[in-house]
Amino acid sequence: MKKCYLGVDIGSVSTNVIVMDEDEKIIDTLYIRTQGKPIETIQKGLYKIKERINNEIKIAGIGTTGSGRQLGGIMVGADVIKNEITAHGVAALHFVPNVQTILEIGGQDSKIILLRNGILYDFAMNTVCAAGTGSFLDRQAERMGIPIEEFGDLALKSEATVRIAGRCAVFAESDMIHKQQMGHNQEDIINGLCEALVRNYLNNLGKGKEIKSPIIFQGGVAANVGIKKAFEKILGQEVIVPPYASVMGAIGVALLAKEEVRKSGRTNFKGFEVANSSYQVKSFECDHCPNMCEVVEFFRDKNMVARWGDKCGRWSNVEVKNTKLA
Amino acid sequence: MKITFPHMGNTYLPVKAMFDDLGVDVITPPINSKKTLEIGTKYAPEQICLPMKINLGNYIQSIEKGADTIVVTGSCGPCRYGYFMEVEREILKDLGYEVEIISLEAPDGDIKEFYNRVSQMLETKNIFKIVKTFKNAFGILKKIDEIEEKVLKYRPYEKNKGEIDKIYNHLIDQLRKSTGSKEMLQYIKEAEKNFMNVALEKRQDVLKVGIIGEIYTIIEDFSNIDIGKKLNNLGVEVHKSHSTSGWVLEHLFYESIGRSREKDIRKAAAPYVKTMVGGHGRETVGNAILYAKEGYDGLIHIMPFTCMPEIVAMSILPKIQNDYHIPILTLIIDEMTGEAGYITRLEAYIDLLRNRRDKFQNEKMLSWS
Amino acid sequence: MKIGIPRGLLYDHYQFLWKSFFENLGAEVVISQKTNKKIVDDGVAVTVDEACLPVKVYHGHVMDLRDKVDFIFVPKIMSIHEKEYICPKFCGLPEMIKTSISNLPTIIDPTIDFIKNKKHLLEIVYEIGGYVTYDKRKIRLSFEEALKSHQNYKNKMKQGFFPMDLDKKHEEKHEAKHKEDTQKILLLGHPYNIYDEYLSMNIVEKLRKYGMTVITQDHFSKDQINPQMNELQKKMFWTFGRKMLGAALYAMEQEDIQGIIYLSSFGCGIDSVIADIVERRTRRNSKKPYILLTMDEHTGEAGIDTRIEAFVDMIKWRVENENYVSTHGQYISAR
Repeated sequence: MKKCYLGVDIGSVSTNVIVMDEDEKIIDTLYIRTQGKPIETIQKGLYKIKERINNEIKIAGIGTTGSGRQLGGIMVGADVIKNEITAHGVAALHFVPNVQTILEIGGQDSKIILLRNGILYDFAMNTVCAAGTGSFLDRQAERMGIPIEEFGDLALKSEATVRIAGRCAVFAESDMIHKQQMGHNQEDIINGLCEALVRNYLNNLGKGKEIKSPIIFQGGVAANVGIKKAFEKILGQEVIVPPYASVMGAIGVALLAKEEVRKSGRTNFKGFEVANSSYQVKSFECDHCPNMCEVVEFFRDKNMVARWGDKCGRWSNVEVKNTKLA
Repeated sequence: MKITFPHMGNTYLPVKAMFDDLGVDVITPPINSKKTLEIGTKYAPEQICLPMKINLGNYIQSIEKGADTIVVTGSCGPCRYGYFMEVEREILKDLGYEVEIISLEAPDGDIKEFYNRVSQMLETKNIFKIVKTFKNAFGILKKIDEIEEKVLKYRPYEKNKGEIDKIYNHLIDQLRKSTGSKEMLQYIKEAEKNFMNVALEKRQDVLKVGIIGEIYTIIEDFSNIDIGKKLNNLGVEVHKSHSTSGWVLEHLFYESIGRSREKDIRKAAAPYVKTMVGGHGRETVGNAILYAKEGYDGLIHIMPFTCMPEIVAMSILPKIQNDYHIPILTLIIDEMTGEAGYITRLEAYIDLLRNRRDKFQNEKMLSWS
Repeated sequence: MKIGIPRGLLYDHYQFLWKSFFENLGAEVVISQKTNKKIVDDGVAVTVDEACLPVKVYHGHVMDLRDKVDFIFVPKIMSIHEKEYICPKFCGLPEMIKTSISNLPTIIDPTIDFIKNKKHLLEIVYEIGGYVTYDKRKIRLSFEEALKSHQNYKNKMKQGFFPMDLDKKHEEKHEAKHKEDTQKILLLGHPYNIYDEYLSMNIVEKLRKYGMTVITQDHFSKDQINPQMNELQKKMFWTFGRKMLGAALYAMEQEDIQGIIYLSSFGCGIDSVIADIVERRTRRNSKKPYILLTMDEHTGEAGIDTRIEAFVDMIKWRVENENYVSTHGQYISAR
């Protein structure tokens, strides 16, 4: 039986699941929209993966990352629950061992990660400003009535530079409309938007950071060739989009899970049955103090398996079931 | 040595005259533009206030033109302005520019140290010459301030629209091209004469608005998106509470402007702000009260985003608005401020003032007293 | 007579001084509750949007006391050190409080301004004490007594304690303080940001849970901080700016400090300057990891946690890398 590892990256926009074998080769990848329902999405993901991989495979370890990593980790019994910054760093090093800079743009957030001599050196993360994330492009694509998948190719066709100003998504949008009204052609505007996003990203995250080659561009937006081109133009350096660029977080955490299992000798994975269980989340407002924390209770098949959300630990510290948190 | 300095309103004209008179090589930074701000925003700390972002843009643009020495003024807090130079030094160093920053200040009122720094910069110890050129330049600065004040006051009363602008723009153009204070004074005299001949008309519907707040954003029309002219065009007479000549005295010598108005401002502010709060926060409150007492129709409070002293003032202004029945509009400016939204707010505010005045006059007509 | 002291801004710094002073004078002292959601929400509601979070929260603390006491002590702390200020908002704090909050009891708002010297400290003490008693001798003695507890507290801080450690049991304190084999992190920030467990989202405890020893600028002595600062061309005129930058410059040279975290509140003018210089100097002069965490009332704890976790990973990763060379390839040792 072949031993394999699962990596699950639960982001706010998409959830990615990957299967990696003992030789750290990627066997399967899966991308699902999270749509605000992380539990169902994880279940769906595991179900699909189970259907797709052959039965000769045994899951030897599993890790979760992304903003839903804690919830997902409890659900699946993760061996490792890791933040997405470390996970992305680990994955990038796997593909390009001498990588020095990682540019990562996802749907709702973006990161820059610097590595030197194979170790994490510096990072910055943006979760507030939309102008440097994929959702900005999605919105503009929608506004122009163009499928986002075609955005990159259209940008490549651009021959003239249209500068879309504004560091903020709102202002950039109004400037784009302005440029449209002035009659610029679509390709040039799309290219202008790509460059605006890259400028925003670099202004926001790249400030004071030494961006050295090799540079890797990953995350959901990496599939957009227009953005890659804009990065190369503005940085004046080559930008590499690795294979599996959109699921690097999941790969990273699978690598980490493998390492963890090697050390501990066993996995906490709860099995693919997770997909068949019924999960429920209940919440209440604690009235013990003026913090009025919203306490979340997490049930699997009517048994409470975890509780969180309180600041003081009154609820979450109570041992509910032997659930290992990282 | 090639000296440069930051922009603030029209200060660059007398400053250039001064260096010309002294025979010092000076590089005037390109006039503030989007480019300047873009450069500044790119390299300055994200949450620093707008004035430093523009200053930094000025320096980098000047350095690219060959400047190697930056002359700035200082202050000793608590407003962060006093520490700009240290941050700028770090930034320019990281960018690989080798420049010297000379701070023209008289620490703790030490005039001697001030002259030491001046003579180091000018490579002359002839104090007499320095004082004389400085006086000349300061004279020009004051004249320009006076002209600007008049422009803002009379523009809405012009009979032939655009006449004042024509004279003013012509003057600035001439000053830019001239060398030395003598030539400048000549042009200023000419312009003053021309201004006298501008035909004005009496207009009852012109409103009076005072501009209060942070000094750089009040004076530097690039940063305030030319608020004075925009208001003039809306039929509003404008008075700015800060001028460059006042600022020069204050920042070079830590000396108060000395006019009796300065004392009045502090006295007026006292019930609301007991002590100084850094920058011109207290003056903002004091000026608001004085303008209200002088019968202004409204006040526009203008400040850079995250400006500490003006946040204090901003918290107190609603009380002034209530106690003195004068509408105050606060405009917070940063590199993201868009012109369209800005104009909309100005227009709406002026409409509000107009309605208020009409209503007030109707009430006066109906009442007996 | 009940005197309220808001648990905000410099409360942690002076908690023993003012509390024991008023108590020695015979007044009853009421301290506002620890910062909580209601206090934050109340403060945010009455202040201008542009104010920084700690100032907003201070307003919330005053509101918490409003109906419970006869007086509220809101000193106008302009300067606590010669030629140094705190920040413009501190200079206007009582005024902001009085215009933003209605139905206040009497506000005790002495002006504390040592910009020139500390000579008139006693006058200020008499002014404050005058709200409780006319007996000047009693005021003076009460203050001297209070100074002792303040000094005591300051000494404890220098030994590495945190204000929040004081509530803890002895064993816990010991555990928190010294652990062998831990990594040391310098946490910089205005005291009201780093010591407020709610606002800081418990960053100190979080770092400790990861096995880090946390120190702040307050754990350094003058002799460690000031020499670094004297080398700067322009004299630093903010007390906390001097402490933070001085501590950072000192820490850059110390081998046993593995990383620097700067916790800043959004819109803080002082942090905008100091954090930038700290970052540039750290990157130029040392290889230590540095991160700036900015918070305001909208900051999500999850985002902060992710950054802290990644930062700790970064430090551990580096330390392990120094000690261990893997045969598998470089990255494996990192995990």
